[in-house]
Amino acid sequence: MKALYKIALLAVAASSLTACFNKSEPNYQYMPNMYEPVGYEPYAESAAFANGKEGQLPAKGSIPRGFTPYEYENSTAGYELAKANLKSPLAPEDIDLERGEQLFTIYCAICHGDKGDGKGNLVKREKFLGVPNYKDRDITEGSIFHVITYGLNAMGSHANQLSQEERWQVTHYVMKLRSE
Amino acid sequence: MSSHYEAPIRKPLIIGDKNYHDVTVDVAAPVEGRANKQWWIAFSIALAAFLWGVACVSYTVGTGIGTWGSNKTVGWAWDITNFVWWVGIGHAGTLISAVLLLFRQKWRMAINRSAEAMTIFSVIQAAMFPVFHMGRPWLAYWVMPIPNQFGSLWVNFNSPLLWDVFAISTYLSVSLVFWWTGLLPDFAMLRDRAITPFAKRVYSIVSFGWSGRAKDWQRFEEVSLVLAGLATPLVLSVHTIVSFDFATSVIPGWHTTILPPYFVAGAIFSGFAMVNTLLIIMRKLSNLEAYITVQHIELMNIIIMITGSIVGVAYITELFIAWYSGVEYEQYAFLNRATGPYWWSYLLMMTCNVVSPQVMWFKKIRTSIYVSFVISIVVNIGMWFERFVIIVTSLHRDYLPSSWTMFQPTFVDAGFFIGTIGFFFVLFLLYSRSFPVIAQAEVKSIMKTSSETYKKLREQGGHDNHSHSEHNHH
Repeated sequence: MKALYKIALLAVAASSLTACFNKSEPNYQYMPNMYEPVGYEPYAESAAFANGKEGQLPAKGSIPRGFTPYEYENSTAGYELAKANLKSPLAPEDIDLERGEQLFTIYCAICHGDKGDGKGNLVKREKFLGVPNYKDRDITEGSIFHVITYGLNAMGSHANQLSQEERWQVTHYVMKLRSE
Repeated sequence: MSSHYEAPIRKPLIIGDKNYHDVTVDVAAPVEGRANKQWWIAFSIALAAFLWGVACVSYTVGTGIGTWGSNKTVGWAWDITNFVWWVGIGHAGTLISAVLLLFRQKWRMAINRSAEAMTIFSVIQAAMFPVFHMGRPWLAYWVMPIPNQFGSLWVNFNSPLLWDVFAISTYLSVSLVFWWTGLLPDFAMLRDRAITPFAKRVYSIVSFGWSGRAKDWQRFEEVSLVLAGLATPLVLSVHTIVSFDFATSVIPGWHTTILPPYFVAGAIFSGFAMVNTLLIIMRKLSNLEAYITVQHIELMNIIIMITGSIVGVAYITELFIAWYSGVEYEQYAFLNRATGPYWWSYLLMMTCNVVSPQVMWFKKIRTSIYVSFVISIVVNIGMWFERFVIIVTSLHRDYLPSSWTMFQPTFVDAGFFIGTIGFFFVLFLLYSRSFPVIAQAEVKSIMKTSSETYKKLREQGGHDNHSHSEHNHH
C-alpha cells in the first residue's frame, strides 16, 4: 500500500512537471544561450529599421552582380515591343525543357493546366474562370517572358518566384506546349 | 594473551593507562560535549571564508570566467592547480585506510577515520573546480553519457577530462561508502551512549541498526578488506587520470610519461602532510594524544620523507630527460621553469618539496610535533606550487613565442580557493564535533597487542613471552 502511494505521488509529480507545457505557446527553454540570434536574420523583425523589417529594399538603380535589368517597361507598349523584339538569350544547349516543365508544374499549371490549355485545377473547381488556352493566343517567347516578369490582367508577376534564367526555361516550355 | 607474541621493539600505539571504556569515553567526549569558544571562532572564520568563496563563485558563474586571471594562452591556472591540489590531498585518506590496511599497519587505526574524512571533504572541494571552471557550468551534465534528444549525442571517451569525471565521482562514492561502513560500529557506540532523544535518533539512523554480532563483524572485516583492495588501485588510478590531463597533451613540460606515478607520489606526499597538519591540531584540541601519539606523527613523517624523495627523484628525472631528449622545446620549458619569470615558484616548489622532507632523516626533527606541523604546512605550500609550476609555466611559454604571455590571478581566483579552504574546514570542524574522529572499534582491536597497559602487563607476566608461547604448544 505504501509503495502504491509512493508510485502515485511520483506520477503526480511527473505529470505536474509536464503539465506546464502549453501547446499554443512555445515551450519553456533551459538556458537558451544561443537560441536567439545576435545577428540580423532575413525575415525577423527589428527595431533597428523604420518599418521594423530586416528585409530592406536595395537602393533604386543599383544592380547586383550577375543580374541584368529588364529593359522593357510594364505597359502595353512595352508588351508589344517585347513581343516583337525580345529573344531568348539561352543557347540551344542551355534550354532544359525538363526543368522548364518542373517549374511550369509548380508555378503555372495550377491555373493554365498541365497542357497549357487553360484547364488548371483552380479553373476546374471554378475558383475563377477566363484562363485562355496558349494555342488560342498569339504569343511569342518575348511576350511570354514579359508576362511572367510583369504579369498581365488577372495574372501577377512571377519575377520574385523565378529567376531570369528560370523564366526563360518556363518560356521555352510554354512555347513547346503551344506547339503540341 | 600470554601466548601472544609481539616483538618487544614495537612501541605502544595507545599510551597512558587506557582500557576499553576509556577509549569509548575519549572518542565520544568531543561529540557529547559542547563546542568551546575556540571551536566557534575557528568555525566562524571557516564559514566566512566559505561564504566569501560562494560569493566569488557566484560572481564567476554570473559574470563569466573572464573574471579570473586566466587568458587565451594560459587557459588553465588556479582552477586546475587547486583541483589537482585538493585531489592530491584527498589521496592520503585512502592511502591510510586502504593501503595501510592491506599492509596490516596497526598504527593506521587511530588516524584512518580523520584521514578518510579529509579525503571526502577535500574531494568535494576538488570536484567544484571542474564544474566552476567551465564556461557554461549549467551544462555540466553533458559530460555524462545520458541518452538524450540530440539523436542520443554522447561524450567522447578519449578525453582525460571525461576520465576525471568518472575517476573523481567513483573515488568520492567509494571513499564515502568505505568511510561510512567503518563508521557503523562507532555510530552504534554513540547511539548506545546517547542521552538526549535527538542524539539517540540521529545516531540510530546513521548507524543503520548495527548490533555487533559475530556474523556482522565477520562480514564487516571482509567488506573492509575488499573495499581496501578496490580502493588501492582506485587511489592510484584517480591521480593517474588527473595527471593524464597534462601527460596526454602535446605541451612541452606536460607531455611526460613520468607524470602518473609522480603525481600519485606527490598526492601521497601532500595528503600525508595535510593529515599531519589536521591531526596535530586535533590530538591537542580533542584530547586524543593517547591515541595519536608522537609515533604516529613520526611514521607519517617517514612517509612524507619517502614520498617527498620520490617526488624529488621525479623532478631530477624530468630535468635529466629534458636535457637528454635533445628537444629544444622541452629543454626550454625546464629552463623557463628555473630561470623564467616564474622562477620564484619553481624555487618554492623545489625547496618545499625536495629540501623540506629531507630534514625528516633526523629523528629529533621527525619526532618533534612543532617541526612536523611547520613542515606539513610547508609541504602543502610546495605541492600547491608544484601544480602551479607544472600548469602555468608550461602554458605561458610554449611552441610559438608570439603566444608567450604571463598569468596574473585576480581576487576571484583567490576567493574561490579561499572559499574551498573555508568549506573544507567548515566540514572538518563539523565532522570533528559530530563524528567519532577515531575508529574506536578498530583501536579497541589493538588494545591487547599494542597498548601501553597490556605491553606492561605482558612484561610483568614475564618477559619470556617467547618461552610462554612454547609452553602453550600442544
